[in-house]
Amino acid sequence: MDDKVKEIEIYKAGRGEHSGIKDKDPVTTEIVRNALNSAANQMKRTLVRASFSPVVYEVLDFAVALYDKEIRLLSQAPSLPIFMATMSFCIEAAVEGVGGEENLEPGDVILYNLPYGTGSHAQDAAIVMPVFLDDGLTLVGYATNKAHWMDIAAKEPYCTDTTDIFQEGVIFPGVKLYSKGEKVRDIFKMVEANSRMPVGVLGDINAQIASVRVGAKELLRVVNRFGKETFEYSVERMFDAGELVIRKYFENIDDGRYVGHGVMDDNGVDTDLIEFDVIVEVDGSTVRMDYSSAPDVQRGPINCPLPSTVSASRVAITMLAGAGEPPNEGHLRSVEVITRPGSMFHPLPPAPCYLYGWSAISAMEGIYEALAKAVPTDVPAGSAADICAVLVWGSKDKKYGEPWFGGSPFPMGQGGFAKGDGDTMIHVAEAAARFPPVEVWEALYPWIFEKFELRQDSAGAGEHRGGLGLDIVYEVLEDFSLISTVERTKVPGWAAQGGKQGMTNGVTITYPDGKQKKIGKITGLQLPKGSKIAIHCGGGGGYGDPKERTPELVERDLKEGYISESFAKENYTFP
Amino acid sequence: MAKRIGVDIGGTFTDLLFYDDKTNSYIVEKVPTVPDHPEQGCLNAISASVPNDLLKETEYFLHGTTVGINALLERKGSKVGLLATKGFRDVLEIRRGDRAEMYNLIWTPPAPIVPRHLRLPVTERMLADGKIHMELNEDDVRQALETFNKEGVDSIAITYLNAYVNPEHELRSEAILRDAGFTGAISVSHQVSGEHREYERTTTTVVDAFVRNRMRGYMQALEEDLRIQSFSGQCLITRSGSGCMTFSEAEERPFETIMSGPVAGAEGAGELARALKLGDIITADVGGTSFDTCLIIDGRPQLLYQGNVIGLPLQTPWVDVRSIGAGGGSIAHVDAGGLLKVGPQSAGSVPGPACYSRGGEEPTVTDAAFFLGMLGEGKLASGVKLDNEKAEKAISKVATQLEMGKEECARGIIRIACASMSETIREITIEQGNDPRSMSLLAFGGAGPLLASIMAEELDITNIIIPPYAGNFSAWGLLGADLLRASARSHIMPVNDENLAYGNTILNELFADLESRESDNNSANWRKEVAVDMRYRGQEHSVSISPPIKNGQIDSSAEELARIFMDAYESSFGGTLEATTEIVSLRATLRQSLPARKYARADYTESKTEKAKSLKAFSFHKGEWQDFKLYSRAVLESGKTCEGPAIVTEQTTTIYIDSNDSFSSANNGCLLIKRG
Repeated sequence: MDDKVKEIEIYKAGRGEHSGIKDKDPVTTEIVRNALNSAANQMKRTLVRASFSPVVYEVLDFAVALYDKEIRLLSQAPSLPIFMATMSFCIEAAVEGVGGEENLEPGDVILYNLPYGTGSHAQDAAIVMPVFLDDGLTLVGYATNKAHWMDIAAKEPYCTDTTDIFQEGVIFPGVKLYSKGEKVRDIFKMVEANSRMPVGVLGDINAQIASVRVGAKELLRVVNRFGKETFEYSVERMFDAGELVIRKYFENIDDGRYVGHGVMDDNGVDTDLIEFDVIVEVDGSTVRMDYSSAPDVQRGPINCPLPSTVSASRVAITMLAGAGEPPNEGHLRSVEVITRPGSMFHPLPPAPCYLYGWSAISAMEGIYEALAKAVPTDVPAGSAADICAVLVWGSKDKKYGEPWFGGSPFPMGQGGFAKGDGDTMIHVAEAAARFPPVEVWEALYPWIFEKFELRQDSAGAGEHRGGLGLDIVYEVLEDFSLISTVERTKVPGWAAQGGKQGMTNGVTITYPDGKQKKIGKITGLQLPKGSKIAIHCGGGGGYGDPKERTPELVERDLKEGYISESFAKENYTFP
Repeated sequence: MAKRIGVDIGGTFTDLLFYDDKTNSYIVEKVPTVPDHPEQGCLNAISASVPNDLLKETEYFLHGTTVGINALLERKGSKVGLLATKGFRDVLEIRRGDRAEMYNLIWTPPAPIVPRHLRLPVTERMLADGKIHMELNEDDVRQALETFNKEGVDSIAITYLNAYVNPEHELRSEAILRDAGFTGAISVSHQVSGEHREYERTTTTVVDAFVRNRMRGYMQALEEDLRIQSFSGQCLITRSGSGCMTFSEAEERPFETIMSGPVAGAEGAGELARALKLGDIITADVGGTSFDTCLIIDGRPQLLYQGNVIGLPLQTPWVDVRSIGAGGGSIAHVDAGGLLKVGPQSAGSVPGPACYSRGGEEPTVTDAAFFLGMLGEGKLASGVKLDNEKAEKAISKVATQLEMGKEECARGIIRIACASMSETIREITIEQGNDPRSMSLLAFGGAGPLLASIMAEELDITNIIIPPYAGNFSAWGLLGADLLRASARSHIMPVNDENLAYGNTILNELFADLESRESDNNSANWRKEVAVDMRYRGQEHSVSISPPIKNGQIDSSAEELARIFMDAYESSFGGTLEATTEIVSLRATLRQSLPARKYARADYTESKTEKAKSLKAFSFHKGEWQDFKLYSRAVLESGKTCEGPAIVTEQTTTIYIDSNDSFSSANNGCLLIKRG
């Protein structure tokens, strides 16, 4: 037991202590808070409008944020939640990468993508810009973003079977893209030479740089406008207020250790089911998430670096208890994360991490399953716990002369909740993401969609049923490669308060000769033209006893074709 | 010149302005909106203010209404059936998979306008290049109609995949429905929107089908009533994308009017900017519940080509007006973390601000302003006298919670409201590459002129303009709207001379279609306008540019067109890229101006009293209470500069002028305030 205790690490998810400054001016604080949120929105708009890749401008696979000089979150714009809560780590690592704060100069822009520092895979590149006062000496904060690049020379454009970090892409361990405002051309050349899709990647880097520059300018404006002292005072007060929101929520919950369970199909390389517990401890106004009992580092890439383990915890808690407001550092102060270095939720180099995001999703599902035992009416049942992403790519694109690459996260069933049925949406870990329109896709790539429909009987039954999954079918018109990251094909998402589980996710390939094959996670599957891919997105878990569902709602579900008659008979009170 | 009536129906009030060309004078009227019969409120306003003999001579009735948007909000519209490509009938329900409130764990989208059992699949398939992949199964259409008839569907929407490239199957399906005897309204996606993105186009088409019968009924009833009142001129309604259209055209394209609420004010601002050469303008329209801002560049409001109404995307041009929930009625409160917040909840018109003595107890922006003396003596045109004690009591509720003084709290409420309005202005200007400091602020709406001086200080703007009839400025804007017809088609192609020629072919077709929409006797007066959406190859988001044209055709080489795009891109994003440029969509517009009106001051009445009164009010510039002179706007002598601090009242609004400002009433009817 004692040995075990020594092995764990406790990470405080929010920096700084409650300042407790007696509030003389809550007005300026609120004005500063609004100005900072507005600045983050400007960063987001710039990135979306200037970027080249659908994964950025449609899927919003990025985060933008402003931090103060102590690397405390000032503001962020709604984007990819699971990225948003990693940005403090990215800044810390990027600054360390260039030799520490003393090596920062006005006009510097740093690129950093080492997974153990960003929490992500190497394709998720963080851009960090220090912000100085006009004197050129006083550091006041950082503007930062992290966005998914289409390719940076991993063994495939997306991977599910890597066994070490070096197969996952080229590493930029904190290098200056701009030094004192001067472009460092060598780094751009390195990026260009190491991508299968350099035009898109360079376009996106430029959009990321434009975005941090806008953020830096706006942050500086806010500081100058109020003066450094008032600004810093207001920020402390803003953090205090955020902290109070979360603490009040947990103070009203019974203290205790609540256990949630995570399941994944396999680690990407071996075939065994991966199972783990997340223990959520409510202790006064503090909430502690303990991942230390999770399995050791895995041979395949489902290892989740510490920043993303912390991020999953931060996101899960702020979405539940944050009163619907954009969080700042204060909201994170009552959150603690316990991990065991060397485990799959705290992997050490050179462990592979490509599929970290799916472990983070599983962790969030586990946290909510645990908290459902403490606050059953606040937490919906489990979702189908995946983003149902299948990516296809081909070597030649007649129009653009670069490889084409099609795929996206897709919606799946969400869990029912105390006040209603679940819907069909993309996982809450990627809450703002949208999938591209079929009409846009068909104009770009050689494929034809056959079906994009709700999947009958896929939702878990309940007094409030889960949301439906989808059936998505398309045919590819040239020879192509396929990568599937589809998870949870073996165990469906959890149901709540006596509800039933929904259908699992799945993928079926139909070859031109009619032969079929079911797959889960797979990389580099070569397929002939004319093959059809069917993605079956799973259903959400039901909430409450199905027998309690009103006959009117059962009738409606039948009329709308959400359920079949046999499903109704099997699950509900139905004549 | 011509006599005209503008009637703008808002949630609370129906505003009227009548313009008499002979005397160059205006009639102003404000009556309560009649929610269940908005046309009645409109007629009430007319009969209360415009004599019958003037109405007889009136040539134009210009109208802005919330009937369409209310139909959507209340979900009171037609029972719509949807024909969709087989395999894609759930597009409307699946949406794009995103969450509107990302920090809300249990957010769920509103139910789709068409339930699933009325979304029926039709076997057919077009490809992205317009080739037929699967022929239309005509029996599917007929069978669907049987179901629709059984279910009592009175409006049908047809949206097939890729129909924006080749509409053959949509047109054939419409013909089959008619042949089979369907007499209700039919909305066809490629006619409603020629643009790609199936969810957005489907939503637009379904919304069109949903509001069509209600809008048609409303406009026909209103026109009939006007005719009975002996009005014989033309009936026009504002478009979401600026300008106006005839009632009969709007009956065919009702979705084009749906977001017209805040547009008339932006249009009026554009007209003023052009006529009076005011340069580039930022509008600040502060009503009871919301703040709307818009940029007027080169005399025109900025347009967007996709809007969003209560979470539903609409593919139609709309004036880029940004709104936030902050207005005169916004309620101040303390949040869970102990910070002072203002809005988005509003006291509305019932119970209204506490000082209105209509039962409101929560402190609003208006209460704070009155408490600080900014509303002068607080006598409203309607005869209501504001109650300072009630304002004070409401403010002290929040002040106590925050352990601060009442006055400090009131100042805080005003500062927070103005700061969030200023942030919205900053976002809209900076994101388009404009510096707010180089522009003028045009303030109107009930509370715009009250807060403009503080906003301008926040934004470091020097010039503020208060237009004539600032409290009824939306109705004023209606009176000068241009007649407009617009259409667009997506066709993605690299910019070269050959494709440019094809683009011109598309424009020809679009203009021919626009001209054939409605026969009119003054077709020679239409002016053609062209916009092209362009982008760098690889990007999705495009920039809309206006190339030189000759008779509706782009009159430049491919190289010149690319250059125009790159200049526009650079001014928005601060740089250009080394990538090929593409055309995404072509947009055709026909424009016709109404007869011009004069911009002379109409309200001046010589002052009988000798000296202006003054009262104590809080100066935000000085940070202390000062003596503010009280003026009535009508007695300000044109061209004479006065020094602030001052409070200027007029029939429908109050103007707060801080101590560092000077102001003068111009001959053209505007009041100009200069800071510093």
